[in-house]
Amino acid sequence: MIRAEGLTRRFGDRIAVEGLTFVARPGEILGLLGPNGAGKTTTIRMLAGIIAPSFGSASVLGLDPARVPERVHERIGLLTEAPGFYERLTARRNLTYFAGFYPGLQVERAVDEQLRIMGLSDRAGDNVGTFSKGMKQRLALARTLVHEPEVLFLDEPTAGLDPEAARDLRGLIVRLKGEGRTILLSTHNLTEAEALCDRIAVFRTRLVALDTPQALRERQFAPLVRVRVENLTDALVSAVAGEPFVREAGRDAGEPGTLLVRLEKADRDRPVLVSRLVALGAEILEVREDRRTLEDVYLSLVREDEA
Amino acid sequence: MRARVGNVLRMEWAGMARTPSSLLFLVGVPLLLIGQALFLSWVLPRFVNPELIGVTAPGGGGLDPTDAFRLLILGQFGFFVLLIPAMIANVFATLSIVEEKTSGTLEPLLATPVRTAELLLGKILSGAIPALLVAWASTGLFLALASLLGWSPLFPYVLTATWYITLFLLMPAVSLLSFVVGVIGSSRARDAKGAQNLAVLVVLPIFALIVVQVTGLIWFTPLSTAILSAALILVDAVLLRVAVHLFARESIVIRWR
Repeated sequence: MIRAEGLTRRFGDRIAVEGLTFVARPGEILGLLGPNGAGKTTTIRMLAGIIAPSFGSASVLGLDPARVPERVHERIGLLTEAPGFYERLTARRNLTYFAGFYPGLQVERAVDEQLRIMGLSDRAGDNVGTFSKGMKQRLALARTLVHEPEVLFLDEPTAGLDPEAARDLRGLIVRLKGEGRTILLSTHNLTEAEALCDRIAVFRTRLVALDTPQALRERQFAPLVRVRVENLTDALVSAVAGEPFVREAGRDAGEPGTLLVRLEKADRDRPVLVSRLVALGAEILEVREDRRTLEDVYLSLVREDEA
Repeated sequence: MRARVGNVLRMEWAGMARTPSSLLFLVGVPLLLIGQALFLSWVLPRFVNPELIGVTAPGGGGLDPTDAFRLLILGQFGFFVLLIPAMIANVFATLSIVEEKTSGTLEPLLATPVRTAELLLGKILSGAIPALLVAWASTGLFLALASLLGWSPLFPYVLTATWYITLFLLMPAVSLLSFVVGVIGSSRARDAKGAQNLAVLVVLPIFALIVVQVTGLIWFTPLSTAILSAALILVDAVLLRVAVHLFARESIVIRWR
């Protein structure tokens, strides 16, 4: 489990992270979403015990990263934004070096295992300098996982990768979550955040919002359902508008015979709306929901915060 | 701790072995210094009137003026060879942390359980040990070549207790000092140049040692050489602690770009 309590970091007069409070539950992928300079990397560095907070506290697996960084490092994995390696040395040599710092680890076996999982066994003896960016990123993930950490901090893991390499890496991240690891994932990629994260923290120096993607969507934009009805009448529109779960209802001016209904909660209210319409004698031809993308939600939250 | 220091050592040596310029430097610098020392020992007594020098090395009083002059020069090699670890450190140690940062390996490294003292000790020893071995090998080569040039009758005057103390006490102490200072420079400076400027500070006192002897100001006796060596070992121990204290992980990760 990862816990941040009023976590703040100043660099001189500049505040990089302010009063950040959240909990990442065991086995969860929590996404950190924010623009450049929002403090995502600083947050990860504080939680991973690389830098200390100016104020506030953090706890990772019950340990304080500022007080006992080495003990925290034994149990976490940090994937840094740039996958730095000793390029003149082989992939195996690089992994063996980093693995050699973890107490009680059977280095050779752990290195072989990670190279196999990442599909790099065939290139284990090649210098890292000859690797593509995608291969380096997979090797960096192997380095992050070589000691089987319980908590992972992944800073922009797919940045700069081609679509295929990014998809493969996302597959690996899903597999890691399946193994029960807690993952804090910093990303710019909204599609990736939506696909991978259980919850998303929208972040801009301070926490703007934290919830599941669906809940964030509903918080910012009430779900809008379009119902094409064969026999749409004003009486039907009025009856629907009067339902308690409906925020707003009206005709779609651009599409005759279509009823627009804004609901309180999409998943809960949509089936109730359909049965109610049927009960009111509507002949339903089509029901579809206008889904707002996470990008809409993110931009709306950021603009709101700016305002 | 030993395992992690050993891990750093092995990695540094693997990196060194894969870098031809490093190996060339390790071999080239000593050869250059040996060549220079032999050339001076050969050429100076031929073209400079020894009697004009007015300085005689201890034990050289009974020798003819040319041999006495040559002895004066040969006797400096023990100190002259101290330049080898100092110069090697100026390149290797000063790059040790700067390179980690520029290659992006420092942050992943600091995210492992390695402690600062383990990392720095590994970096220091990985350079100081080969530098010391190279310096000893250079001394052997120098004596072999001097013998080929027919100067072996002077060896009893050169290979004194002071020479051995210099070789086996002072030289390890200077090697360590050079690398500790180099690593401190590397962890404080923002680039290799800045680090090298700091490491040059070790080279200057070595030159001073040679100058005070050549000019006859001070002759190092076995006792004074042993005291100097012991003092330097103490300084090494203190500086190692200072290096750990000065290694500001945060500042290196945040400010270096």
